[in-house]
Amino acid sequence: MPVVDIDPDELRDLTGHDEKSDDDLKDDLFGLGLEFEGETDDGLLRFEFGPDRLDRLSVEGVARSLRYQYGDDRGVRVPDTNDPDFTFVVDGDVPDERPYVTGAIVRGVDLDDAALESLIQLQEKLHATMGRKRAKGAIGIHDLLSIKGDTLSEDSDGNSITYTGVAPDGDTFVPLDSDRELTPAEVLHEHSTGRTYADLVADYDRAPAIYDELGLFSFPPVINGRRTEVSTDSRELLIELTGTDQWTIDRMCAIICYALSARGATIEDVEIAYEGGSDAGGRTLRRPDFEVRSKSVSHDRIETMLGVDLKARDVIDLFERSGLDAVVADGDAGDDEAESGDGDADTTYDVSIPPYRVDVLHPLDLVDDVGRAYGFDELEPRYPDVGTVGGRHERSRLEAVTRNVLTGLGFEDLLNFHMTSRGEVHDRMHVEPGADVLGGGDPVEITEPYSEDYTILRPWALPSLVMVLENNTHRAYPQDLAEVGFVAERDDSVNTRVAESRHVTGVLARTDATYEDAKARLQALCRSFGVKLETPPTAHPSFIDGRAASVVIDGEAVGVVGEIHPAVLVEHDLELPVAGFEFELSALGEE
Amino acid sequence: MQLPEPQVAVLNAASATEETPIDRLAAAAELEPEAATRAVFELRDEGLLEVAERETVEYEPTDEGRTYVDSGLPETRLYRAAVGAGAGASADEDAVSMGQVIGAADLAGDAVDIALANFGRKGYGNIDSGDLSVDPEADPEADPEADALAALVADEAVDTVDNEVLDRLVSRNLAARRDRTERSATLTDAGVTALMEGVETAETVDRLTPELLTSGEWEDVEFADYNVEADAPAVQGGTTHVLRQAAERVTDVLVGMGFQEMDGPHADADFWINDCLFMPQDHPARTHWDRFALDTPPIDDLPADLVDRVESAHREGVGADGDGYHSPWSEEFARAVALRGHTTSLSMRYLSGERVGDLDPPRRFFSVEKVYRNDTLDATHLLEFFQIEGWVMAEDLSVRDLMGTFVEFYEQFGITDIQFKPHYNPYTEPSFELFGRHPTTGELIEIGNSGMFRDEVLDPLGVDHDVMAWGLALERLAMLTTGTEDIRDLHGTLADLEFLRGAEVTY
Repeated sequence: MPVVDIDPDELRDLTGHDEKSDDDLKDDLFGLGLEFEGETDDGLLRFEFGPDRLDRLSVEGVARSLRYQYGDDRGVRVPDTNDPDFTFVVDGDVPDERPYVTGAIVRGVDLDDAALESLIQLQEKLHATMGRKRAKGAIGIHDLLSIKGDTLSEDSDGNSITYTGVAPDGDTFVPLDSDRELTPAEVLHEHSTGRTYADLVADYDRAPAIYDELGLFSFPPVINGRRTEVSTDSRELLIELTGTDQWTIDRMCAIICYALSARGATIEDVEIAYEGGSDAGGRTLRRPDFEVRSKSVSHDRIETMLGVDLKARDVIDLFERSGLDAVVADGDAGDDEAESGDGDADTTYDVSIPPYRVDVLHPLDLVDDVGRAYGFDELEPRYPDVGTVGGRHERSRLEAVTRNVLTGLGFEDLLNFHMTSRGEVHDRMHVEPGADVLGGGDPVEITEPYSEDYTILRPWALPSLVMVLENNTHRAYPQDLAEVGFVAERDDSVNTRVAESRHVTGVLARTDATYEDAKARLQALCRSFGVKLETPPTAHPSFIDGRAASVVIDGEAVGVVGEIHPAVLVEHDLELPVAGFEFELSALGEE
Repeated sequence: MQLPEPQVAVLNAASATEETPIDRLAAAAELEPEAATRAVFELRDEGLLEVAERETVEYEPTDEGRTYVDSGLPETRLYRAAVGAGAGASADEDAVSMGQVIGAADLAGDAVDIALANFGRKGYGNIDSGDLSVDPEADPEADPEADALAALVADEAVDTVDNEVLDRLVSRNLAARRDRTERSATLTDAGVTALMEGVETAETVDRLTPELLTSGEWEDVEFADYNVEADAPAVQGGTTHVLRQAAERVTDVLVGMGFQEMDGPHADADFWINDCLFMPQDHPARTHWDRFALDTPPIDDLPADLVDRVESAHREGVGADGDGYHSPWSEEFARAVALRGHTTSLSMRYLSGERVGDLDPPRRFFSVEKVYRNDTLDATHLLEFFQIEGWVMAEDLSVRDLMGTFVEFYEQFGITDIQFKPHYNPYTEPSFELFGRHPTTGELIEIGNSGMFRDEVLDPLGVDHDVMAWGLALERLAMLTTGTEDIRDLHGTLADLEFLRGAEVTY
């Protein structure tokens, strides 16, 4: 879950509520779903929240939400923007893998240390979330005064910069945190930030690059140049975002612009001119995209979802308190009704959604906003008046009754992990992988295991029980253990390619354990299920020759029973005989 | 008078005039000493015998003591060897080298120190800077310690031996002392009278046997008393695994609330695990760090129509005003098989009709099944754990119905005062984290995650009704209700049998 670090003084400043104590703020934020996690080393308050409201990744966004909560602000607010003076040219050489760009010019910023830190935090957190670690979208913030508008583009009547792709070993620039001229390829090898993000552009033929009249100044999504570095002295900023999806970077851009606007800066549009033959080729966009989207939601849906009756004017009020605007849609019962304040099933609201609300995908996300503004804890729980018949699955009933019989026979019921290792199921049981015996099957392998102890799904369960014996040699004997549990094998004829089933497995570890003890219990189990047990001799490498039998139930060979081989016992540090059995649960009933 | 056989024998062996020790009574009565002792006390309780107790001290030679009887005490051997080497009384003229004497006395190891210490103590001579002189007046042959030791080994009485000498033997670990209580019995007047009037043997039996029952003999016998307070041998029956008990309990509650159990694959396509749940394919939780991908080929078959609808939901959203994710989506990615990270994959299979055909409302379904998370393994997290998954489908459901269902469910486990914290899940809206108070500690803890399935989930599945759903780790509930602190004691091959055997049953 995302976290945001907040300076409480800044929050008081930005909300205009000097009277709020830190504790008041914590309580108010909990109401918004931001949980206090503790203080950072720098004395900031750290909050954790769900990854939907990414507009709250900085103190400015959190302050905005609080002002709505306090009732200081209502409805949608969109910052004014000035006409564009700058053009971002996207030329035909731009890397195919990363064709999109957006941005804005921000003037009149007043960055003290706290504001600059907040801006950098917001940038990093947007990278980590929406930007998918910069793969999907990366933000570059530059000091505008260090950029010289490119005059090479003759038909541009203003300033421009160019987003393009260049040979990785071509032009050089001095990246941040460096004092050497490096090519993009050298950045990826020699600069620590370059190495961190090298994977993102590893497959690109051309390095993404941004030029002004003076030359290369940024290598997105890896690193900016030192020439345009932002400091507390910066008064005008150029913001550019590159990425794999126009929508995503436009939303990230909007969140940044809203944050700067909240600090009194003026936003100036830029023109994005897509040249060349990419999907976007030939288009010109005006950015930042502050378009207020609209979605319709019915009064009925809100009432049904919350389970309460509401008046239309209350619903509109709740929308406005959420930072949205709502009007009763034309063609419905209309203004009269909105004024009278009733809402009926036919009423529909047109709801305006500000551009920073990246989480609203569907009208029901607006219903959630109404619910939060109404206060979910105001709702009285009620048990749904709906009658259904409960019941267990056959397989689960069969498992339960089998466990019941086994515990009645004195077995301790066990619950082992389904993941284990080849060493445990094959080597230590003296079973050759691929051998045509129970447990010899080809196990399904986990491609990125947590540890070498858990690399496969177990093809049989006896090794798990022998491991439990191994780990409990200091405990009282006899140890009679059983498990009715999951096993799996690779099987390409199955839809999921994994044949899953349950096995019934038991071991008897006692000073006088013999084949007969295991068979006696197996017999009792089969008698309980009314199935016929036969035990023709067989050979299995985990068992003593001449003391192992195939478990044949109702004519089908489904497992093995016998005395475990001394070599296997010694391998597991066991100093007394063990008899055991394992067979398919499906032999006892419908799985 | 009728008495049990051992008592009759003891009574007959006892004397009215002489105190007879119990071991002698046992020998005369041909009883085991324990049986004789028990009979003596029973007779005392009946007033027929008087019991006198005498504390006695017994000495027994140790193994070390026994060896010195043959070879002589180390200091004696040292004295003799010194004399044999020509040592005299004068420390200047008659002294001999200690090393030489020790060799001649055949002493080694600890015996050397013992010999030297006692040599000096008994005044056999002097030791001065490695030289040894002897007192010719000393008489090791008349050493009371050696004599007493010899008497002990020969099992002769040592009543006349000075206690100080015996104590010395004990402190030298040549003899062990045992304090004993010797009990003797004398017939009381009542005992004498009883014997004169005649005492008969009453038959007592230890065990009730089938023969006694069938012959009717049980009517004439007396049953020997058992010590009913004594500990009995430990018996270990089979028990149901404590976590399984918790799962069964949850199952009982849910079945009672009208829920049907679901079943389905542990290894499943990402399509069922994530894509149906409207989890974007570039969601951080879908990276390889969180999931257990398998090395098997992709799933063979997915319902083509459903795949199209799910893809469309991801790309375009659902409904006139729906937006998609602006994230890449590929069927190939969706077909990859992994271990399920939640059993919501089962809910998707059931809701889509793939599992048991199309479902009409109202319906309630649940499962208590294993899920797999590539997370840290520690005292509260496992790589595999049980998830309780449940959902309700009906014509109209509100968040109040969802809240009411959970209040009812958790109340069954003694968890009341449920709080609902608004939350975010990609697949539900609204969503709530559930918090409840621990029944004993009163602590507020997270006990589940819930919500109303989104249209983007239900619409592709072809479900035209409201569905509310929730998930919860069974282990968390079990730890709450059993007080377990390390989950690894419960689950897996590190399980401690002693813990499982001793776990209190729950109901």
